[in-house]
Parts: sequence; C-alpha cells; structure tokens
Amino acid sequence: MPADLNWAIGGEAGDGIDSTGKIFAQALARAGRQVFTSKDFASRIRGGYTAYKIRTSVEDVQSVVDRLDILVALTQRTIDENVDEMHDGSAIIYDGERSWDAELPDEATGVDVPLKSLAEEAGGAIMRNVVALGAACEITGFDVAYLDEALEKRFGGKGSQIVENNKEAARLGRDHVREEYDLDHLGYDLETTDEDYVLLNGNEAIGMGAIAAGCRFYAGYPITPATSIMEYLTGRVDDYGGHVVQAEDELSAINMALGAARGGARSMTATSGAGIDLMTETFGLVATSETPLVIADVQRSGPSTGMPTKQEQGDLNMLLYGGHGEVPRFVVAPTSITECFWKTIEAFNLAEKYQTPVFLVSDLATSVTEQTFPPEAFEMDDVEIDRGKIVAEDDVEEWLDEEGRFRAHAATDDGVSPRALPGTLDGAHMSTGLEHDELGRRTEDTDVRVQQVDKRNRKVETAKAEEDWDYREFGDPDADDLVISWGSNEGALIEALDLLEERDISVRVLSVPYLFPRPDLTEDVEAADNVIVVECNATGQFADVIEHDTLTRVKRINKYTGIRFKADELADDIEAELSTEVPA
Amino acid sequence: MSSDVRFTDFKSDKQPTWCPGCGDFGTMNGMMKALANTGNDPDNTFVVAGIGCSGKIGTYMHSYALHGVHGRALPVGAGVKMARPDIEVMVAGGDGDGYSIGSGHFIHAVRRNVDMSYVVMDNRIYGLTKGQASPTSRSDFETSTTPEGPKQPPVNPLALALASGATFIAQSFASDAMRHTEIVEAAIEHDGFGFVNVFSPCVTFNDVDTYDYFRDTLVDLQEEGHDPNDYDDAKDVILDSDKEYQGVIYQDDESVPYGQHQNLGANMSEIPDGAPEDAMDLVREFY
Repeated sequence: MPADLNWAIGGEAGDGIDSTGKIFAQALARAGRQVFTSKDFASRIRGGYTAYKIRTSVEDVQSVVDRLDILVALTQRTIDENVDEMHDGSAIIYDGERSWDAELPDEATGVDVPLKSLAEEAGGAIMRNVVALGAACEITGFDVAYLDEALEKRFGGKGSQIVENNKEAARLGRDHVREEYDLDHLGYDLETTDEDYVLLNGNEAIGMGAIAAGCRFYAGYPITPATSIMEYLTGRVDDYGGHVVQAEDELSAINMALGAARGGARSMTATSGAGIDLMTETFGLVATSETPLVIADVQRSGPSTGMPTKQEQGDLNMLLYGGHGEVPRFVVAPTSITECFWKTIEAFNLAEKYQTPVFLVSDLATSVTEQTFPPEAFEMDDVEIDRGKIVAEDDVEEWLDEEGRFRAHAATDDGVSPRALPGTLDGAHMSTGLEHDELGRRTEDTDVRVQQVDKRNRKVETAKAEEDWDYREFGDPDADDLVISWGSNEGALIEALDLLEERDISVRVLSVPYLFPRPDLTEDVEAADNVIVVECNATGQFADVIEHDTLTRVKRINKYTGIRFKADELADDIEAELSTEVPA
Repeated sequence: MSSDVRFTDFKSDKQPTWCPGCGDFGTMNGMMKALANTGNDPDNTFVVAGIGCSGKIGTYMHSYALHGVHGRALPVGAGVKMARPDIEVMVAGGDGDGYSIGSGHFIHAVRRNVDMSYVVMDNRIYGLTKGQASPTSRSDFETSTTPEGPKQPPVNPLALALASGATFIAQSFASDAMRHTEIVEAAIEHDGFGFVNVFSPCVTFNDVDTYDYFRDTLVDLQEEGHDPNDYDDAKDVILDSDKEYQGVIYQDDESVPYGQHQNLGANMSEIPDGAPEDAMDLVREFY
C-alpha cells in the first residue's frame, strides 16, 4: 500500500462538492494527517462537472498524483472523468437508487450506498454528501468521530439540530457499508497522529500575511481566482482599523489603493492577468510617484478571457516588462502556501523600504489548493515590519531646500527619498506621473530627467545589494543535472525528486521565488550537464529569462493544458528530457 | 496647524502656464480661498488632479498632492480619504477627465459619497490638446476633429450626478469669484461628496461658451430663492436646458458619508512594528 490516500468527490456544480470535500479535509487534518487538495472544474465534457480531490498521508504531501483510491461519484460523468486514475484497489461510492445506472470500470469496486434515502432518514436529503463521507470513513478505516468537529464548524451557525442530523447522516453511511460490504481486501486503514494542523489555501495565506504585515487598505474588483483574497480580508482587516472596498473596475481599484498608500497606509490590490492589463495603466504612476504598493497577480490561463478557472504561469513577461517606458519594480512569486504568507509580508516591506511597486505573483492552483501545516509555520512573532524612510515631524527640516520646500524626490545616494505622510508639518509636496524635480514639480530639464531616472533605478540597485534574493534548493546539491522552476511548481518537483530517486536519477532543483531582481544562476547553469526549466506556460518565459541571464541554452518542460504539474508526470518528463539533445 | 492660514499659503511658487485669461485662474483662486476659509492648511490638505489643463492645478497649488493618470483622480481621492479621515481631500478635474475618460469613476464616486470635494473646470473643450470637442461641447460646436460639430448631445454632468444618487450638486462661474468661493466652501463642508461643476471659459479654443456668454445668461439660484433641499426643484433646474445656473442646486441634509457607515475613523498610516498582538488567532481560525 502506498503511504498516501487519494480521495475525491465529484458531481454537478451546485451539489455542494467543495464544502463536502473541505469537511473531509478538515477531518483528516484534525486526525493529524497531512492534506493536499485540488479542484477540478469543467473539463473534457461540457457542463458543470466539478470535483474536490484530497491527497492525504501522515507524511508531507505537496502535490497531486495520477492515482485515485476512493471516489464519491454523484454523477456518471464523475466516474467517466476519473476512470483513467482508477486501479484494482479503487472504490467508487455511488447511489444505486438514483435514476442513473452506474457504469463502473472493471477494476474498481462499486460501493452502492442509498445516499438520498439514508440522508432523509437522518433528517433531509440535502445531507446525502455527508452520508457518503460516513461511507468513505468506513472504507478507509477512519473514525467518523473525526468528522464531527468539521461538521460543527460548517453547520454550527445553522443550529445544533442541523449539526446532530449531519453527524447522524455520517453514521448511517458508515453503518450501511459496515453491514452490507466486506472491503478489508482493499486494505485501507488510515493512520492518525497527535499532530495539530491548520488547513488553508494560498489566497488565505496571502490575506493573512497582509494583515500580519499591517496592510490596512485593500481595493479590488472581483475576478477569478483572486477574489478570495478580498473575501478573506473583508471583515477581518476591519478589526485592525482597516478597510476593503470593492471598486467599479480594476482601473479604480489600483488608483484607490494608490491613494491610500499616498495617505500612508500599507495598501494592496489583487487581481488576475486580465486585471493586470487594466492596472498597467497606473503602474508607471505608482513607480514615478514613488508610492509603496503591493499588487497581487493570481494568474490564470490567458490570453484574453482564456480559461478563467484553469492554471497557468503565463503572466511573467507582462509582470517583468509591462507598462510603457522603463518602470522599476519588484516581482516576487511565492513557491508554496506558507511562502504566500511570508512573501506577502516581505512584499510590503520591500514596497515601503524602496517606495516602489511590488508584484506578488501567485496562480490559480495555489489559490484553490488547501494544504495542512503546523501552525508554527505562520509564527506571528517572527513577522518583521520595515517602513523605510518615513520622516518624523522633527526630521522634516533636514529635507527642506533653502526655500523651505520638502524634497520628496531627493536624489539620495541609495535612491530612496524621505517620505512625508499627509499631516506632517512642512512636508506638503506634490508627486506626479510627469517627470519631475526633487520637489515633485514637472520638468523637462535634461539633467534633472537623468537624475530622477537614475535615482529611481538606483533604488533597485540598492535593493539588489541589501536584500537576499536567493533561491530555494532541493534534491542532490552535487548532481550533474539542474532543474529550475518558479512559483508554485515547487511541491510537485519535491515529490518528483523522490520518484526519480527510485529510478536512480538524482537532480538538483532550484525553486526561484524572486523574478526581479532575481538570483544570478550563471555559475549553477554553467556547471550543469543538463539544465531544465519547468513552468506552466507554452513558450517558456522563465527559460527565456534564464537563457538571457546566463547566455546558455536550456531545456524546457512546459505545460499549458490548464492543469498544474503532477509529481509522477513531472518525474517522467524530467527523465525524458535528460536524454534529449541540448537545444542549439 | 496654524489658525491664521491665508489662501496664498495654498499657492506654490510655480507660475501657471494657463493662457492669459483662462477660467482656471479664477477657479483655482476660489478653491484656495475656500480651503483656507474652511480652516484647512496645506499640511492637512490633499489635492488630487487628473490630466488636461485642469490637471496642472496640483503644480500651482501648495499642499500634499498627487497628479495622476487621466480620468482616475476620483478613485485616488477616495483612497486617500478612506485611509486618512483626518485629511481634507479635494479632487480637481476637467470635463474631459471627469465626464469622458473618467465618467465611469464619476458615477461611482457620486454614489459612494466619500466625504471630499470634486471641482470640475468645465470649459466645454479640450484645451491642452489644442481644441477638440469635449463631452460637454455643444452638438453643433465645430472643432478640428468634429468639423460639423459632434452631432450628439452634450453630457449633462449635473443630471448624471443626480441620477447617480448625489448628495451635493452645485455649479459656479470662475469669473464670479465671491459666489464661486462660497459654493466650493459649501462643497467642502458638505458631509459627503461635494460636487461643483465650474464654468471655466477657455479663451483660446472656445469662442461660444465665453465669459460674455455666461455673464449674459447665468441665473443665480440663491437670488431666485431656490431651495437646494428640494429634490424636485433641483431636478427641474438640472433638466432645464434653456438656461445656465449657478449656485448650490441640490443638497441632501441627511447625507451619510461613506466613512461614517463603514466606521472609518482610524488613521491607517499608523500600524504596530510587528504582527498584531492577537494575530495567531488568525492562524487558529484554520483549525
């Protein structure tokens, strides 16, 4: 038996698939098991198919694999969608009383549970998914009592009777399987531990990181898959004196966020690529007015409306180069859900220290994946805040010119100017998208133009020297072959390393969270026999960047189906690439 | 903050490059006077300007200011005010900035009712780009890009505001310094979004909507005994296309500004030097 269990529930959109899946995931976390979830939206066949998948183990799980052990199928299509991942030990829970005649794959064991009837017995047909959870518990040797806390969390607001009915529904599901089936031969027996895990997704980690970092203002316009950052902050940031505002469009959202930042608030907006298109209008202004602002891009499949509920890392070029003129910026792409938290905090510090816009780059897969972590992974005592050169009232004088005017864009040695927040006596000044002098006044003077461009770019040089722009390293540090990735592919790569090791293949993996500025990989690339760059896009945008930086051709693994990399698939792809010719 | 602020304290040392005689001089003077008369000073005032001749105002005034992107001045102002309820926010724009490229934001700024003022220098022409039709140009107004006139009715910004749920709608004339200043003062003091459309003639590119035209036709509503609290009267004035009016046209005395119903009061620039004390509770929510 593999150490991990792969479980899924699937049905039509509106069947409560997500909430049912999450209840099971929370129950597993309560039982001290690690969980990594993924979501399938409509795919091969048109319609409203949706599924929530859970991979669970007592060890680390950071990826999905192409193997499904237990499937709760509310529709025939759920079975059809997942048939390729079934094996001899798979079990399919379905309701034989429903109008569809389940056609089961030969290798899987069908477990017919009258979900609707048993749910009605417990108090209402709406609880049929919970009956299925009880059945799944029995098949996997998992105590239904672990579901109780998750059911209380989900239904507590609807009254204790509803909670009790749901607990009963789960037990009826369990009892039915116990009485009607002997499934010991499948061999599932979920181990539990004393570990105490929290379960959260990447957008929640970004939202929580924002509050930890002192973010007080968020303006946004709803867009999949970024909206849940806004939903997380709504209500919560208010507890700290902050506010979330839903703007009329992304143009307004970024300008509101900019306004709040001019007021001195730690401020952010989040969107997806289509929204970044619109926000690019204001991006240059953020940079030339030297306003600290965090702009999160939760990437989805493009271009245009693309595939709004599908994974892609296609925005890299836009984030690195977008906007007319030459715009200094930072681009940071967290490589895991915990890193979503920590890099969000870092993004706010970078923004304020260097008075420069920061793109915080995530993606759809990270936004919907729920994963378990020990709570110490988000230790709030370790959060550090650096607000940069905000000028206290007593210090304003040293930044006034001979006529008493505040030099908001003073061309300092490190490029960073003093920042007077509104209300600071004698600090009044204008900032503008026009080229300007040290006072913020429009100019087309050639010397001043060069002074200000250099000064803004010097901030990036200062940051390059002062900050740590390192990569995260995994695998064999002495291996001849190098795999490079950015953003959310890290988890699948780490698991692929184990699979490759079983095949006596060792590689060194560099997972790069800093896209600009970024670590210099020249020596690493030159020292390797094979260099393979892994990313979820068609053209290899990061591979292009690596080739540009290191003047060396690299191999590419690109996936642009709309589905994230899976560990086993990635292991196969890397093994195959190792035996191809290096491109000319 | 000193109590003896004079309006010239809001003046920067940059000489305006507006054409001699431009209505924007008078508009700006009234804005500065109104800010001083309402007890503000440059260090607690934030002026946001858009793009166009009107957008230059941030350079000629002295205060905290941002000169932003074309059409987006209102969202910037809303952001400043939400983050800093202690700061007086005034947004300046023109008819192009506010009623063309920024018209989407105008509607929503009006209905959001953030406590700030919005002064639009309406000259019914694009001046900075040397004389093309603006959204408030007359339908037969001949310009370089509309040789036979736009042949579409001008936007009625006051009607747009009323339809969007405005709580304060006023109109003034740059040349009537006293009334203009009073009207902008009323907009500043209004609890909510104080909108003033200012007839601010372009002496270079608009030979129709001139100083003389407005002097001859302008009706002062306060002299007429107009009651700005009467919605129906306000509607009649706004929809009357035969006359040009100045004065406070509509004011909702029961206006509840955005910051009040959203409980905004904190100065958001002040944060602790680490995570909030109870922040581990946020983590525990995910058990």
